[in-house]
Amino acid sequence: MPQIPTQVQEFLDTLVAAPPLEGYLVVGAILFAIGAWGALIRRNALVVFMCVELMINGVNLTLVAFADYLPNAGGLGVSYAVLVLAIAAAEVAVGLAIVLAVFRSRRTVNVDEVTSMRG
Amino acid sequence: MTLVSALGVVLSRSVVHSALFMSGSFLGVSGFFVMLNAPALAAFQVLIYVGAVTVVILFGIMFTQKPQVRRYRTIINRQFWAGFLVAVGVGAFLAYVLSAEDWGGAEAGNGPRQVGAFGRDLLGVSQGAEIFTLLYEVASVLLLVAVVAAIVVSRRKIGEGVDRGVRE
Repeated sequence: MPQIPTQVQEFLDTLVAAPPLEGYLVVGAILFAIGAWGALIRRNALVVFMCVELMINGVNLTLVAFADYLPNAGGLGVSYAVLVLAIAAAEVAVGLAIVLAVFRSRRTVNVDEVTSMRG
Repeated sequence: MTLVSALGVVLSRSVVHSALFMSGSFLGVSGFFVMLNAPALAAFQVLIYVGAVTVVILFGIMFTQKPQVRRYRTIINRQFWAGFLVAVGVGAFLAYVLSAEDWGGAEAGNGPRQVGAFGRDLLGVSQGAEIFTLLYEVASVLLLVAVVAAIVVSRRKIGEGVDRGVRE
């Protein structure tokens, strides 16, 4: 059996070891920022919805990371994350229905052209 | 993978590609959940987001698709760089605050790895989680209201307008 070099072994150890809490937090923050950027710049209402979903996922990731890492959290953040998931699903259902209604009355899903709420 | 897919959502020209990139991003997040000792939540993420939400959004795309001009100038409004600056500012601020803070004694492995403990937390049975009894019921009522509202909002009203939505 060939001997594994020390550097390779250390690299493998760092790969297997649990990453620091800041890693998850930074990934969640970047996910939130990308979602916010997309929600600001895109014109299609559906893409705006997807970007809002990205923001929700970033926040959820932060919540679960805290729940797993902080000793006093007791893991309850995971339950909150499930509730966030359910509410996000409800938001998607209602949002898609609103987009369909707007599309039916205006033939567009461009959020720049939908400036009035009157039917 | 998560972040690259998220960028794909924002920057891809086709709406369908955006939806597929979004499901890729959700898959990455569910991988993070597995790493964070929450395998049940990861399963929920895959089922609800990657399954249900992506399919619903693809349906929405099918209903509202028009022949599009696939140029950036038409899909992105004029606030491209302003929005980029705002987003980078928010992201850098959040990342800086979250990593500058000293999370003392933070160690991995506090989460409820057992699905049974997780279920007792969610139903409010276990110690310190009594509030979830209320939250669980509120969430179920909210889901019911959302389903009814989705049906009511997207229903085509009889005798109003013409089919395909052209108003008279």
